[in-house]
This record gives sequence, C-alpha cells and structure tokens, in this order.
Amino acid sequence: MESTGYTSLTRQSGLMREMQVIANNIANSVTTGYRQEGLIFAEHVKGTDQGPSLSMATANVRNTSMIQGALTKTGGTLDLAIEGDGFFLIETPGGERLTRAGNFALSAEGDLVTNDGFRVLDAGGAPVFVPPDATALGISPDGTVSDGGRPLAQIGLVQPADGVDLIREDGVMFRAEGDTLPVEDGRILQGFLEGANVDPVSQIARMIEVQRAYEMGQSFLEAENERIRSALETFIR
Amino acid sequence: MRALKIAATGMAAQQMRVETISNNLANMSTTGYNARRAEFSDLHYQQFTRAGTVNSADGTVLPTGVQLGLGVRPAAVSVNLEQGSLAATNGDLDVAIDGNGYLEVTLPSGLSAYTRDGALKRSAEGQIVTSDGFPLVPDIVIPDDARSITINPAGEVFAFFNDTAQAQSIGEITLASFTNPKGLEAIGSNLFTETEASGPANVSTPGQDGLGTLRQGYLEDSSVDPVREITELIEAQRGYELNAKVITASDQMLGATTQVR
Repeated sequence: MESTGYTSLTRQSGLMREMQVIANNIANSVTTGYRQEGLIFAEHVKGTDQGPSLSMATANVRNTSMIQGALTKTGGTLDLAIEGDGFFLIETPGGERLTRAGNFALSAEGDLVTNDGFRVLDAGGAPVFVPPDATALGISPDGTVSDGGRPLAQIGLVQPADGVDLIREDGVMFRAEGDTLPVEDGRILQGFLEGANVDPVSQIARMIEVQRAYEMGQSFLEAENERIRSALETFIR
Repeated sequence: MRALKIAATGMAAQQMRVETISNNLANMSTTGYNARRAEFSDLHYQQFTRAGTVNSADGTVLPTGVQLGLGVRPAAVSVNLEQGSLAATNGDLDVAIDGNGYLEVTLPSGLSAYTRDGALKRSAEGQIVTSDGFPLVPDIVIPDDARSITINPAGEVFAFFNDTAQAQSIGEITLASFTNPKGLEAIGSNLFTETEASGPANVSTPGQDGLGTLRQGYLEDSSVDPVREITELIEAQRGYELNAKVITASDQMLGATTQVR
C-alpha cells in the first residue's frame, strides 16, 4: 500500500484549515472584542499490517488567545471594555452567551442591548433597565450603572468554570459548555472599547510559513508522482 | 479555498470603515453632526471537530475541537452622541442644544423629523424654519414689526417691538428625546426620523425630563475629531492591505495545488 501521498495529504488539508483560521483572524482584526484563534497540529500514529507504523499530521485542536486586547477611547456612554478577566453575560434566544464586545446601546424599551439586539444581563441575571429620563449615565469599574448618583443596576461579569470549554458563535459571542462563575475583581471601563487581540505581525509571519509549507508539501507530492510514474514506466518496459 | 472569501469579507469591512471615516471628515464642519463609527462582528463558525470527541480507543477526549470562522460582517454604524463644542455666532435664530434632545420639524410629507442643527431661519411668512425651509414644531411665527427676538434657555421665544417696552412671548420651542437616540434613522440634511429601535419621541420643555437647554447665539459644531479619524484611516488602510496579502497567499497556495498533476 502506497501511503506517502496520504500522509502528506493530512498535512496539506491541515495547512488549508490553518490558512482559513489566519484569514479569519486578519478579517476580524477590527472586530470589537474578537479573540485570536490558533490551530494546533498533532501527530496521529497508526499501526500498519506490514512495515513501520504511519504517522499522520492532524489539526484537531484549536486554542483561543485570551490576551487582553488594546483599549481604544471612544467616549461613548455605553461603550464598555473589560480590563482583565471576565465576559459580559448576554441573553439570546438560544440561552446565555458570553462576550467581550462592549459596544452596547439602549433598546426602545430602555434595556441595555448588544448590536444584535440581545439583552445584557446584570449580576443577578436580570436585564439592565435604564429609565428614559436618565441624563448622566455613569458606569463604575465594578459595573454599577448609576444616573446622577442614583444606582440603577450592576452589570455582571462572568467567566467559565475550570475546564469548561467555550464554543465560538457569530456576533463575537461564546457559548459556555458548562457552568459560569461570577468574576469578583473584574474592571469595567466606560467610554472605552476593547479591540481585537489579533497580532497582525505574527499572523502574517504564520501565513507565509503556512504558504511555504503548503508549497513544500505540493512539490513533495509532485516528486512522489514523478517517482511512481518512472517506476511504472520501468516495470512496463 | 475559504480563506479567499474570508479575506474578501475582511477587505469589504475595511472599505466600509474607510467610507465611514470619509463621511465623518467630509462633515467636519457640518453644524450638529455627530461622528459615526463602523462596528464589526464575526461571522458564523463551522464546526469541524466537536470538542469532547473521543480521540482514541482508550477514551481520550479532545479538549477543544476545531471551529473555523467564516469572516467578518458589519454589525452597526453607531453614532457617537458626544456633545459638540458650541461656537458663538451671535445670530438671533441660531440655537444650540446644550445637552440631550432634538428640535422637531415637519417635513413636506407631513411626517416629523428631528435635528440638532439649530441654524434656524425666518421664512417669507415669518415662520421659524430650518436651513432647508422645514417649519419647526410647534409652529412659531415672528410678527413683521418685531424689532428683535430672544430665546431663553427654556425655549420661550420673545419678540421686542418698537412701540412697547415689554417683550411679548410669541411661542415656545420644545425638544424631543428618545430612549435610544442611536436608533434614529439619518435621512440627510442633518435630519433624523424615529424608528422602531429609537422608540417614540418624548416631547418636553428644554431643561426638564433630562433634556438639554437652549443657547441663543450659538451653534453646535460637528463632533468629528480629525486626529482620531486620521489614525483610524491609517489602521483601515493597513488592515485592507493585510487582507489583500491573505488573498495573494491563498491564491499562490491554490496555484501550487494546480501544478500537481
């Protein structure tokens, strides 16, 4: 059984996936609260009936960078950034979601909502209501929303419990596959937004690496193709 | 090759950002203009390998799995509702709003529109109108023989006449506020109309119910900060180039693929 081609094929398809991850990171380099993603290659060893075992390269594991993104001053009353750990808790039709994108607005009913219209939840899991006559809305570092010294609500910050995985969803949201815990020492900054934590330099460097590795794999496949062809020609003659 | 399409969404996003910035810069000296900012959000994720998939015969489980994102989409162009600085013009019908609120005007269609552009004028009939000639709500008519006009912070309009020492009240300017002013729809000419998202207009006297006060003889400058816009422009241009590089690299990978027979 000729397995050379298949072995390099696993590497090639993994590189294609990684290219997609890099493209997504770069495309989202201006998305508020976006977290950079990476792909991890792992060796996949398979025993064979004859000869030594086969070693394939699979890209089955991803890692999400949780490094703090740069904070940009926007001056918006409802632009919130988290400094340090934690996520905002959002109520969606599919259940509770986590996000770091704090570009909020008020709905026509006066609830604090995301750009997609989902309600932001407070520390107790209830929507954050802002009365229409509020003029001097202030949000303190611990998430307390107040209007002219009158406290209205406290925006909750949560993070997934240890070992709970975060699944990405569109709208810069994460779905926690398990319990979330309140964050006690999170800091919310009003008038700031957290940019994407994508590092363009490392992404471009990785992109070049992926491209060259892919081309190397292709020339290897080409050489293998040539080898089989000449072997066949020799046998037939 | 999805990377090509993903990078294309990235380029489209950066282009939209440049368009927003150029509109801001073009309106750098538009009275009452509020700077806009394009906001983005990531697209759907494809689930290639689910987290928790059993990876081997002895039951080891993948901790994270593989999810591949499909790019970026514009989420909103939000209006930055910062108060612009007030510039003295000394015009007796120049009114700046210091704080929240919008002036209400009637469009030719009979619908109401809202504006922060307080450069008001007097029509041939003596009505107080905007620069485009739309009458203010409530309708205020300045008598022909009025010598001068004063507008106090609470919106009351007084006229002075040659033959009387006492000023006469000729009407009151009201202001409208919205629960979510970011949800108003801009229709050009500094005008906005109410939408489902903004909620209905709450009309009240200036200075009450959280509304700002009026300042006669002033106009509100555009809140565009050129330094911020230029920095954003540089970022957007470089972001565009980065996405273009991804397209080039993906193209070359495809090229390498087709070379193998």
